[in-house]
Amino acid sequence: MNDEELTPHFEELKRVLQGKVDDSEIMNELKRYVNDFHIAPDAAKRGILRKYGALESTPFQTTVVKQIDDLTGNEQSVDLLVRAVYVEERDITVRGSPKTIISGIVGDGSGTASFTVWEKQNTKMEKGSVYWLRNAYTKTWNDRVQINIGNRGSIESAEGETVDVPDRVITMEASECKIGEITSGMSNVTVTGRILSTEERNVMVKDEPKTVYSGMIADDTGKIQYSAWENFELKEGETVCIKNGYIRSWRGIPQLNIGERAEISRVDDTFGTLPDGAVTKSIGEIVRTGGGIDINIVGTIVDVRRGSGLIERCPECNRSIFNGECQSHGKVEPVLDLRLKLTVDDGTGAVSAIVNRELTEVLTGTTLGAAEGLAKAKGSIEPVASEMAQKIIIKRVSMTGNVLSDDYGPMMIVKEAAIVEEDVTAEAEKLLKTVEESI
Amino acid sequence: MNARETAWRLFANELNGSTTSLKGDEEMSPFYVVTRLGAVVNRVLIAGVLTEKENMGSDEEPLWRGRIQDVSGSFFINVGKFQPEAAAAMADLEAPCFIAVVGKVRTYNADDGRVFVSVRPETVVEIDESVRKQWILSAAQSLWSRLIRMKKAIAISSTSEKELIDAGFTEEEAKGIDIALNQYGTPESSTYIKIIQDALRMLLPDNNIDFGFPEDVGPDEIDIEPVQNVAERQDMEDAVLRIIIELDHDGKGAPRDEVEREAEAEGISANELEEISDTLMDKGLIYEPDLRRLKHIPY
Repeated sequence: MNDEELTPHFEELKRVLQGKVDDSEIMNELKRYVNDFHIAPDAAKRGILRKYGALESTPFQTTVVKQIDDLTGNEQSVDLLVRAVYVEERDITVRGSPKTIISGIVGDGSGTASFTVWEKQNTKMEKGSVYWLRNAYTKTWNDRVQINIGNRGSIESAEGETVDVPDRVITMEASECKIGEITSGMSNVTVTGRILSTEERNVMVKDEPKTVYSGMIADDTGKIQYSAWENFELKEGETVCIKNGYIRSWRGIPQLNIGERAEISRVDDTFGTLPDGAVTKSIGEIVRTGGGIDINIVGTIVDVRRGSGLIERCPECNRSIFNGECQSHGKVEPVLDLRLKLTVDDGTGAVSAIVNRELTEVLTGTTLGAAEGLAKAKGSIEPVASEMAQKIIIKRVSMTGNVLSDDYGPMMIVKEAAIVEEDVTAEAEKLLKTVEESI
Repeated sequence: MNARETAWRLFANELNGSTTSLKGDEEMSPFYVVTRLGAVVNRVLIAGVLTEKENMGSDEEPLWRGRIQDVSGSFFINVGKFQPEAAAAMADLEAPCFIAVVGKVRTYNADDGRVFVSVRPETVVEIDESVRKQWILSAAQSLWSRLIRMKKAIAISSTSEKELIDAGFTEEEAKGIDIALNQYGTPESSTYIKIIQDALRMLLPDNNIDFGFPEDVGPDEIDIEPVQNVAERQDMEDAVLRIIIELDHDGKGAPRDEVEREAEAEGISANELEEISDTLMDKGLIYEPDLRRLKHIPY
């Protein structure tokens, strides 16, 4: 563009910059953008205004101030004035390197939410203090909003500001529910069930010895692990109503905690004979609730994933390794093992299933010895997986185990597994009857 | 959460009748088709008879196309070099055979506005008849549960997503039903009940299942067409099937013109033959090895 064509743009810049920048400098910048870098005039003007601080909002994101109750879980950048309700520091491992994060619960007048500070650096947070969470982003997990402070965000002390977190927000009225309906997203619950087992463990909490009273409790819909810091003298076989228990989850498996505010009463047992062992669930239900203990599923093996077949393990730490090289122990003499990583799908959802050697041998009919022989004959361990896959893919299986959940959905650690055939004729007759009755 | 997508058991008719798709705004967000009964489908598990396969690519870079028939119609699959295991399996298969496929759905918009649905397999496996029957049962059960859900949803005065969730539908179900009713209107349930009938007939051949639909008449014509004699129709189908088996001298199938002549001798007109052979194909009893031949699919 020649000077004449640039003039109107120049005039516009001059007007906006109000004499803060030298005329010749404006013209030089404009020529650099437009003539040297071939930037369209509009983008060039915006760039120049940004450079001289004459644009108010950032073009990338605008930060808004919100209350916790107004969060949608999709905020890219949000500021919140909150009181820390609960704070803990945790050491985690991210891609092999250790890292400290801060997590807990914050609240304001509208509600509470959990938060995580991913880059701790010099941040110090204390329970009860008031802070500005700047440039936070939010996500949802189990229908609850989580506040995250990443490397663009920061925590500022907001001493002098008052934030009242109403009691009711934290101590919600416990809802009565069946054990099978408990999901990892719940907080306070009231349940009635029969104590299946009890256990006492001594642990150290902040250098003080404490006793944890734990075990299993079940009703006619499922079972759940419970734990209490106080000795309620629960006995195997008795039926209790636990009021105001609260749910904490470990990797998607909900656990019932019997805390200070819980009330326990002995009640009549109306369950009769409880379902023996595992409770059968549809996979769709598991995807929605997160996980649980002793769950049975019936579905089709739709994928035999990488990492299945004959694998090497480190003799020191038992982790699976490649080419005799352990991440922690270096070059080792690998121990061979069999494993399956399956995807099982019943039409309502899909779950990942991890199958140990013993059950792999049962499902595929291939023993570890036979697999080693095959690998030797073929000169590679890979054919073992494809051979096994051919035997079980699209087969219908019944599996029982504990189901964990993470960002990639539910995963079952399989304790029992068998290929099952459905009685198609009987099921078809059932369907026929249902259809005939309703048309 | 990035949980793995469910593999829906769907009949070809329901899948192929879908013209609406969904895709999230993010770059990696998954693609879904929404069926007329409100299934929001990214992945399917399908099974049936592989009736045709063709390599549209080269030996080095194969691009397999295949046609899989179930009781309601045909699925179309495309397997390319990015699915090496499925491509290798395709190369080894010989049509006709029973196969099962796990794969992702894709749509293709033709210039005339029509939408074609195909499946891009992740896994292709030859199966036996018991697995095929198992699949027909699951697909029929799944179809029935969607019909019932749809009926329940229509009974609610307003079918916005929120009201459906309040009425006890899961979020996923509510979303699918809301979109389906908006895009396609109220589904023609007789079409689907007839598919269930065909499926159950295959699973329970001795039960003489009859839900009272005129045979082989499109749902739109049900009220107009006179009710055909079911038994007579069945006899004609049996006759045509017998002729096709008899005239298959070399194992390559029965020449169409010979079948036509023979059928006419038995009092079956060319038009009737056309209809009956379509029905037999839909039932997975015969297929066309090429345009001039018909061949029986032995079980």
